[in-house]
Amino acid sequence: MLAYLVRRSAYGLFVVLGVIFFLFVLFFTVASPDDIARQAVGPKAMPEVIQQWKVNHGYHLPVWPGAGHLSDNLLVDHVQRMIAMDFGKSDADGVVIWERIRQGMWPSFFLTLPMFVIGMVASILTSLFVAFFRETYLDRWVVALSVLAMSIPTLLYIIFGQFIVGTLLRWFPVSGFDADPAVILRFLTLPVLIGVVSGLGSSVRFFRTVFLEEIHRDYVRTARAKGASEMRVMFYHVLRNSLVPILTQVVMEIPFLFTGSLLLEAGFGIPGLGAATFEAISANDFSTLRAMVFLGSLMFIVGQVLTDIGYTLVDPRIRLDA
Amino acid sequence: MGIINTLHCCRVKGATWLAVIPGEPGAGSGEGPPGGICRPWVSNPRALRKDAHGPLGETWGSSPRATKQVFGFRLARDSFGPVVTSPWARAAKAVAVLLCCSQIGCSNNPYPDAHDQQKVLYLPFATPPKTLDPAISYGTADTVVTNKVFDTLLEYHYVKRPYELVPSMARTIPSAQRLQDGGVRYRFELHPDMWFEGDPCFSLSGQSAGPDGLPRRRVTAADFVFEIQRVADPLLASQVVETFARLRGFSEFRKRLDERRRDPAFARLRVEQQYRAAGEFEGARALDDHTLEITLTEAYPQILYWFAMPVTTPVPWEAAAYYTGENGRPPLTEYTVSTGPYVLTSYDKQARMVLSRNPQWWGLQHEREHLFPDVTGLPEVGDLLASVGKSLPFVDRIEYRREQESIPAFSKFLQGYYDMSGISRESFDKVVREGGLSEEMKQKGMSLSRSVEPGVYYIAFNLEDAVVGSKAGDRSRLLRQAMSLVIDVKEYLRLFANGRGVPAHSPIPPGLFGYDAAYKNPFRTPNLERARALLVEAGYPGGIDPSTKQPLHLTFDVADTTAEGQVRYMFWVNQWRKLGLNVELAATNYNQFYAKMLKGSYQIYTWGWMADYPDPENFMFLLTTKMAHSVSGGPNNANFKNAEFDALFEQMRNRDNDAERARLIKAMLAILERERPWIELFYPEDYALVHGWLKNVRTVGLSTVCTAKYYDLDAAARARARAAWNKPIYWPAWLVLAALVLSIVPAVLTYRRERS
Repeated sequence: MLAYLVRRSAYGLFVVLGVIFFLFVLFFTVASPDDIARQAVGPKAMPEVIQQWKVNHGYHLPVWPGAGHLSDNLLVDHVQRMIAMDFGKSDADGVVIWERIRQGMWPSFFLTLPMFVIGMVASILTSLFVAFFRETYLDRWVVALSVLAMSIPTLLYIIFGQFIVGTLLRWFPVSGFDADPAVILRFLTLPVLIGVVSGLGSSVRFFRTVFLEEIHRDYVRTARAKGASEMRVMFYHVLRNSLVPILTQVVMEIPFLFTGSLLLEAGFGIPGLGAATFEAISANDFSTLRAMVFLGSLMFIVGQVLTDIGYTLVDPRIRLDA
Repeated sequence: MGIINTLHCCRVKGATWLAVIPGEPGAGSGEGPPGGICRPWVSNPRALRKDAHGPLGETWGSSPRATKQVFGFRLARDSFGPVVTSPWARAAKAVAVLLCCSQIGCSNNPYPDAHDQQKVLYLPFATPPKTLDPAISYGTADTVVTNKVFDTLLEYHYVKRPYELVPSMARTIPSAQRLQDGGVRYRFELHPDMWFEGDPCFSLSGQSAGPDGLPRRRVTAADFVFEIQRVADPLLASQVVETFARLRGFSEFRKRLDERRRDPAFARLRVEQQYRAAGEFEGARALDDHTLEITLTEAYPQILYWFAMPVTTPVPWEAAAYYTGENGRPPLTEYTVSTGPYVLTSYDKQARMVLSRNPQWWGLQHEREHLFPDVTGLPEVGDLLASVGKSLPFVDRIEYRREQESIPAFSKFLQGYYDMSGISRESFDKVVREGGLSEEMKQKGMSLSRSVEPGVYYIAFNLEDAVVGSKAGDRSRLLRQAMSLVIDVKEYLRLFANGRGVPAHSPIPPGLFGYDAAYKNPFRTPNLERARALLVEAGYPGGIDPSTKQPLHLTFDVADTTAEGQVRYMFWVNQWRKLGLNVELAATNYNQFYAKMLKGSYQIYTWGWMADYPDPENFMFLLTTKMAHSVSGGPNNANFKNAEFDALFEQMRNRDNDAERARLIKAMLAILERERPWIELFYPEDYALVHGWLKNVRTVGLSTVCTAKYYDLDAAARARARAAWNKPIYWPAWLVLAALVLSIVPAVLTYRRERS
């Protein structure tokens, strides 16, 4: 297993280096350092102000390595910084990017953790329920509703959720966020609810298929024949044996609990990392965007390794061999 | 339990970064302290004092409210009655409990209920400030904070128009003293006994503690000089260097500083030591603690307007030396040490900013100098008269909440959770009917405040272009006049801006000296027939270019690639097509547009200009030869060069607002009328919707003005209105639950029947 993990991590390292290089090419093709500087200081700024801004933000170096500046250029600087996880300062407002990540991580976590837990429990329970009542009107309704739920864009859920629940029914604030314990639940309930409902359709369909595949297996029939109750059959035998595909979905989502939900955070004004990414896109804040994309890809790679380890834990038949 | 309570206190004064701290409340302090509370890494009594209303120092489970809200389910369950044993009954009870609890906790109030009766002004903000450092702050997003915390020597009268400067931290408005060498000198006399807010940074100069237990210091003239030196500092890259370069010795000081910083030993000195070592300059000097002397190399009366902007606020050297972004302390771009009517007490610019009344504000100690202004006799001030002579500010705290989307922000305003709001385009028809408030809004007790902003939007021609420019002589002038004549701004404003804007006939907007409401530019009243005749005269009959026998091809550059932008700009293009001209819309992103501007490869473009200060000079200079892009890289992108206009501008710019200045402006407008470098479009209008409980609101148009200090509000009336407007409606929840149960029950019954 250790050899496998080492090999897997080495692959991951190459992917990370590829991501770093790709990010550099992508961002510096879209905008030159002059463009970035002008965007930051405004159209009225004098050339010397733009030049000083470039010096303050490290954009005064040549972009590519060349004669006389083999190590003193933006590419080398970028790679070194990314490997050291030194993301520098925001192009838009000069705030240290790690500081913004530290601030934004918690609102994101408060939103995504309950969304993840409730969403997972709700979709597993609903899928077990419809698998239990398979080929009845309930099964057909739930599948039809799931397809309908999948077809609606998240943005629409947000707009209608805010209008119906926030404006018409007045149950929760329309938008916003405050970590004050007196009000935090008010702010989080609606986005969590919308996050859960908007993701329920696809999860229910996926888990239902997984459970139905298991439910027809011989061991299930044997369990019933031995007199196991339906509850025990569903929750002990069927659910346990369906854990590998469930785990694949669950573990891959865990790293993104910290990076937040782009649309929900932007739509509800929750100052998490998703909103920070959204804002960096709209403000052409390339340094923040580079950091967010890099962190996202890093977490994705970590998630993949964790998934592999998770397999061995839920299914003793799986071994990770180099 | 692990307790996290730092989310909106992470920028509390003196506190620094996020801390996740487990343990018991109140046990310990300092770096990484124990205790189940949020504490700053840098222990700072000011932090704990300043955000007393907030959650700082509370634990998540320690307050009764938190217990009720966070663990409400458990408390409700205890009071629910005897324990039931059937699993179905238990499940039903649990669902009922959950629903009851959720209903108890249901409220759309985004603020803690305890704040309902407090005199707090709630406002939304869309864009977070880029910087709070007054030396480099320039955008309107920054002024949300900077205009309230940074006091200035002068300020604008709240109501009088044209805009009028009045003294603020200065005792009087200084008069210009002409020097023999052509320079001009101003001497500001400061009020005595003005203090910076208490802050740990003053321990650097050994100051003693003030009433709040933090060291503090008096404001002196040297603090104003220090701020002007900061503007000159090349490292800070201030955007207003060009203006202040008129101060005698300013540019030389800047150069000296830059050169000496190449020596690493010099660069390691504290910032005020560097400035001192670089030597004073004559342009800004402190004669004594209460006298500031400003010397200009040439007459520039507009300099006084700059002393009404946060860029010239006093900044203590201690703050610049202490808040450097190192050692866990925030930089001055994220932190303030100020003198204004409000102080920044919580700063999480992604979500929430709080400004609290400054108990040490000099205006409270010099009440006779700084009360609500006497507005008696001015037009439309009936509602302000009750406040005249009262001590400012009226509101105890200002809470800004981030709202990135306009629709949720407006919904919260309608629910009473914001006291003031702009009007989004989507909501405009609901709010405004025939120029006034709709019946629905009137019934809610709202009022509408309108004002024209000191800015102008225009379409401009590049006068260095071979077709539309000066090289083509009279022919291009007639073409520009014809193109100007077909632009129907009223229709544009009706279609795209809900009528918000005043059609412009000259570059000078209302509220400024030189604006004449009676003036009608003959080329800015749509007249298609006359335009066609002018085209014939120009040699383009029916818009046909005789050299190609095709419609004359022109390019209209815009820095907007959105679909909405295309529709808007096509409106102008279609108007020119009525003349038979083939105008092509070239939409690019801003960087590409700017690159075209740099190269001079454009024919027609559209832009806008918002005044830095309300003086006609700030608009007319945009069309002088000195400011031509092809000459100096200046903002005159039309490259309009007219010797007569330049001569009139030189006579006009330094004059007082007298009859001669009005005559000169009139003569300049006549040149622009004839030459048509610009097609003036409109002056933007600012609409503010205000709830009935908020008093004394006037829109000013200049973002650097602190209007909030004049506002007053009736918190009790607001609480009553909020309660009446926000009663939750629960029946749909029961309906959904019933539908769910009814849909499941038949399947369960069938299953049980089959099993039995």
